[in-house]
Amino acid sequence: MFAVLHIADFALHAVLRTEPEAALKPAALFANHHKKSLLLAANPAARACGIQLGMTAPQAVARCPTLLIRAPNADADAEARAALLAVAFTLSPAIEDTSPGICTADLKGSRTAPQPLAATAIAQLDALGLPATAGIGRTPLLALYAARAAADRHTVYLTRQPPQSGHPLAFPTIPQSELNLTPGLAEAPIPYRSGLPESHRVFAITGEKAFLAPLPLVAADPPPELAAILTTWGLRTLGDLTSLPRDEIVRRFGTVGLMLWNRASGGEPRPLHLVVPGQHFTATMPFEQEVETLEPLLFILRRLLDRLTLELCAAQLVAAEIELTLQLADDNRLTRSFRLPEPTADTEILFRTLHTHLESLQTAEAITALELRLTPTRPLVRQHGLFDTGLRDPHGFAETLARVAALVNADRVGTPQRDDTHRPDAFKLVTPTAVVPPPAEPPLHPPVGLPLRRFRPPLRATLEFSPTEKKPSYVHTDRFEGVIATIRGPWRSSGDWWQTDRAWARLEWDIALTEGGLYRLIQIDEAFYIEGEYD
Amino acid sequence: MAAASDKLAALRRQLAERFPTVPRTMGRLLPTGIASLDDATGGLPLSALTEIVCTAPSCGSHLLLGQLLTATRATRTRVALIDSTDSFDPASFTEDLLAHLVWVRCASTTAALSATDLLARDANLGLVFLDLRRAPESDLRRTPATQWYRLQRAVEPSDLALVVATPRPSVPSAQLRLQLSNPHEATALDRERLILTTELTPVLQRQRVQAAAG
Repeated sequence: MFAVLHIADFALHAVLRTEPEAALKPAALFANHHKKSLLLAANPAARACGIQLGMTAPQAVARCPTLLIRAPNADADAEARAALLAVAFTLSPAIEDTSPGICTADLKGSRTAPQPLAATAIAQLDALGLPATAGIGRTPLLALYAARAAADRHTVYLTRQPPQSGHPLAFPTIPQSELNLTPGLAEAPIPYRSGLPESHRVFAITGEKAFLAPLPLVAADPPPELAAILTTWGLRTLGDLTSLPRDEIVRRFGTVGLMLWNRASGGEPRPLHLVVPGQHFTATMPFEQEVETLEPLLFILRRLLDRLTLELCAAQLVAAEIELTLQLADDNRLTRSFRLPEPTADTEILFRTLHTHLESLQTAEAITALELRLTPTRPLVRQHGLFDTGLRDPHGFAETLARVAALVNADRVGTPQRDDTHRPDAFKLVTPTAVVPPPAEPPLHPPVGLPLRRFRPPLRATLEFSPTEKKPSYVHTDRFEGVIATIRGPWRSSGDWWQTDRAWARLEWDIALTEGGLYRLIQIDEAFYIEGEYD
Repeated sequence: MAAASDKLAALRRQLAERFPTVPRTMGRLLPTGIASLDDATGGLPLSALTEIVCTAPSCGSHLLLGQLLTATRATRTRVALIDSTDSFDPASFTEDLLAHLVWVRCASTTAALSATDLLARDANLGLVFLDLRRAPESDLRRTPATQWYRLQRAVEPSDLALVVATPRPSVPSAQLRLQLSNPHEATALDRERLILTTELTPVLQRQRVQAAAG
């Protein structure tokens, strides 16, 4: 049994999925941006406005003034193709990239019923901005015919128009009963995008002959000369062709006729050209127009992440690190790596990590492209200990810290660690550990006195000296002043004397004011400062 | 008058039925290890705000912070210190007491309040200490009461204690308000910190009983 995932008008949807809200509006794909370029594809909303294949841009705009005109984009195509393959891997490990917008999966060995599996895949593609249909059949070709039939059913539902005759994918002879629409569904209002439910977009062939017989000849892709001859014979459908003896067709048309006859009868099972899952989880998206605001950037990021996480899940891996590179209009590149607190393949968590960073990011120039790289790793499987005090929500904690860092700067958040030096106020902030270590033994010499509450920078102090005792008797700063009741010191300290630019030396006193308050007074060179308050 | 109170009670009952809240366990406390405080209140209330009013210089607010770090270190509970004036001195504490601390060095009261709003919602923290002891008077005056009630709402569904150190009573939503008003003498600099901690006598100014939810 084979399944085919089919995205009609693939190139158009590949472009539209990169723009927020674009798929909701009438849109058409033209060969290029020239005035006389011809329409290659149109979405159901545009077709509902009367736009047809082969029109020029002015003709199309005359019928639909709000029409979005787009040209094929190779990068968007590649990204959409990767997304389609990523979803196809959820059907089977044996998949074939048959052609743009068509992916065939061999369901041999699958224990799950194919219809619900395909419906889930369609829902995933919908979430990725790729409206798809699926067909299930005995051969890859039958599955493709079925997927196209489902696509036509979907088109009929969305536009309430029969497929355009002459279109290679058209199935005008499918009777309404074959469309198998749920009663009442056809009469329902048509909001585009909502479309048919996923289960109605899966077509599983039960009776091959009955299914193939009414299909038009164009469904089997006959060579033009052969198609012309067969038309003059009065043959219109695949059933008309297969009712003729195969040997007679071969005698008259040779190998070409035999191949057409085989295609008309549904073909035979064949080995697929298997796609090897990628080992590198990267995505690149150049922007047609420079991006200056956050929303379009986040929209694309979400699309890329959705695809990458699907690929990770298919490979049974998780992301340990994200690397985001932004290409700026002035050719500079901004690269930032995010080490995840716990490896994950959860799109929401990965997206929130990037969102938090981008919210506080300001670039000098507009963004022209972005690149996303996920570093894969094996999922961490561990059992928490009974007395383990690890983080309840590692990702939530990392996100909270990132938000706080965005508020106060990254170098001002963390766990303080004292430097191995006697230099005053020497410490560094490190990232909090995932697990709080067990408490150490109590110190041999317990701390004495009150902790210091620092002034950063120290307050400049002016002292008055008692003429009799030659000691400071009054201190004055910007914040407080008072009579010094007690003074103890001085204590001299110095360090790094061998480094001229880092050498330090100072004198310290502890002072108590008569009105209350214990302070540390320091002298550096000839100036006095209040370093802090004992509190 | 009685009719009005009956109507109010009926309205409360209706609201409680229509918007049921998550039931809270009553009386959850974080013991501080300070005998006078634990005897009087049982400790710091979890899922609520506690205000420490420090009216005098050198009254021991950092001594209290050090004791809270010690108490939470024993249970390996993670602590966040939001330092509105960047006055915390890591050198005053042992390296081990800092292992479970997340220190946020803010440059303004506004940033400190915003950071507290974020950290108070984090499920990984057991204690959040907002130090506004040296915050400018004008900043405290300008902070609207709604900001404090917002913080109260933020911690209510959580399991953390939010402690705010202020120079004067400023937190209207505080469930517990303690005052430290006795400055230490110069001799305190020669005495063991553990003894100084046991001698701390915060004055209980307010202790609200948490209303039953639902």
